[in-house]
Amino acid sequence: MTAGAVGARPRHVPQSELRSGIGYWVASLASMVRFDYGRVRQWVPMMIVIQTLMGAGMALLYGFFYPHVTAIRALYITTGAPTLALIPVGFVMLPGTVAEQKLEGTFDYIWSLPAPRSAQAASTFTLFTLFALPGSVFALLVAAWRYDVHLAFSPLLVPAVLLCALMAITVGYGMALAIPNPMVTNVITNALMFVVLLFSPIVYPASQLPAWLASVHYFLPFYNMAVVIRAGLTSGIVAHVATSFVVLAAWTAAGAAATAWVVGHRR
Amino acid sequence: MAEASAAALVPHGTVERGARHWWHEYTVMVRWHLASLRMWLVTLTIVQLLAGVGFVLGISLFFAHIPTTAALFVSTGVPVINLLTVGMILGPQLVADQRSNGSYEYLRSMPVSRSVAAAAWYTVCLIGGVPAMVVALGVAQLRYDLPLHVSPMIVPAVLLTSFAGTMLGYALGHAIGSPMATRMVTQLLVFVVFGFAPVLYPLSQMPRWLGAVNWWLPFRHMAVVTRAALTPGGHAAVLSAYVVLCVWAIVCAALAGRALGR
Repeated sequence: MTAGAVGARPRHVPQSELRSGIGYWVASLASMVRFDYGRVRQWVPMMIVIQTLMGAGMALLYGFFYPHVTAIRALYITTGAPTLALIPVGFVMLPGTVAEQKLEGTFDYIWSLPAPRSAQAASTFTLFTLFALPGSVFALLVAAWRYDVHLAFSPLLVPAVLLCALMAITVGYGMALAIPNPMVTNVITNALMFVVLLFSPIVYPASQLPAWLASVHYFLPFYNMAVVIRAGLTSGIVAHVATSFVVLAAWTAAGAAATAWVVGHRR
Repeated sequence: MAEASAAALVPHGTVERGARHWWHEYTVMVRWHLASLRMWLVTLTIVQLLAGVGFVLGISLFFAHIPTTAALFVSTGVPVINLLTVGMILGPQLVADQRSNGSYEYLRSMPVSRSVAAAAWYTVCLIGGVPAMVVALGVAQLRYDLPLHVSPMIVPAVLLTSFAGTMLGYALGHAIGSPMATRMVTQLLVFVVFGFAPVLYPLSQMPRWLGAVNWWLPFRHMAVVTRAALTPGGHAAVLSAYVVLCVWAIVCAALAGRALGR
């Protein structure tokens, strides 16, 4: 009798069970996108302005360094501008945001939210990729207007820009997560910007580099970003576009792997 | 017994004044900065050297063959950037970090006067800037074989350039409350100094209106005084450049002082 009564009583289950499945993941992603957007909303216009300044501004100031901006220089500078605008979002602003969150403690709070961490990371990737696009377009428009360059758009531009944005953000995020000390991240991002702005063949042809530096750049993302975006904006001045797409895809995968590795570890 | 406890309540130190006391506090603060920033300073020195030398060498990649004028302008402009890096760019960011992690209030509570704190920080900025400047100039000379001629005016030029930059950074760091805003403003300043001020290239290569705007900003004048001290021949506008720089330094110091006094 007694034993039967105990058996009939519903088993004590925890209120929230462990949820999983693709539907739950997508729902978490949607909530995280809303949550993240709500958090950064006030900074979005600022980010776009900074990006535009960065892309368009760099396009203008590279021109100042030359006594004469020839037609080919102008073409290189203009088609490099969208690339320059995409780089800071992923490689500077995103790691900076993560560093700030780590210092403030927000980072741990977000990890404690009941959403899969992979959905949290995917939300960041989605949002920042979207944020990266307007600034890039503005940069191109300003540069094209300033240098009066005629561009030949090809459909390749869409996958090129999306892949570049996603790559920059994945790698920047992976780096910010994988490096525990925000100060170190800060130094690296600043150093990267320096390399990008001076030593990367984005606004000038790779042929102006010493051979060894050019070969290093075939494996780094920056030159390849410039190649695929330039291929979408011009016809006949870049070669080996497919190789550049492969290199960029590999960097994206590496960034995602670094993110997955950190996110998958318990602390 | 009661007397003893009353005595214990009285603060030990009285308000001390005078040049000797100031000097003592100053040396203590400089040592304190150097000790607390020792790791940071090592990183900084490396970054400064790489940035200075990197810029001097990197500019030649922009050209298939670099003209001597371009090389000369970059090589004499890089020292200005070296001098500004610590005081104007990293200083405000350091203050922003201190605000984020809470040590800012602690530092404000230290019993030193504002002038001592500012002078000590200025000294640290010079320590962080001058060696990199010398190395960058040396590398430029080796790489491009430039017609450099260092005159004694380099001393006031360097001191004033660094002072104006440091005070500008001091004002930014202390007068702007939000760390995020400080970071953004300093990033913007980096951008202006590198690209939109005639520091690394001649004034004639920028639009006329932008040159006129730059007359009101300090960077053009920093480049003028530094370049005048590094290259032979007469230079126009050096005197007015010194005057504008002094005005900037004084205004920024006053702003920072007001922010710190609150």
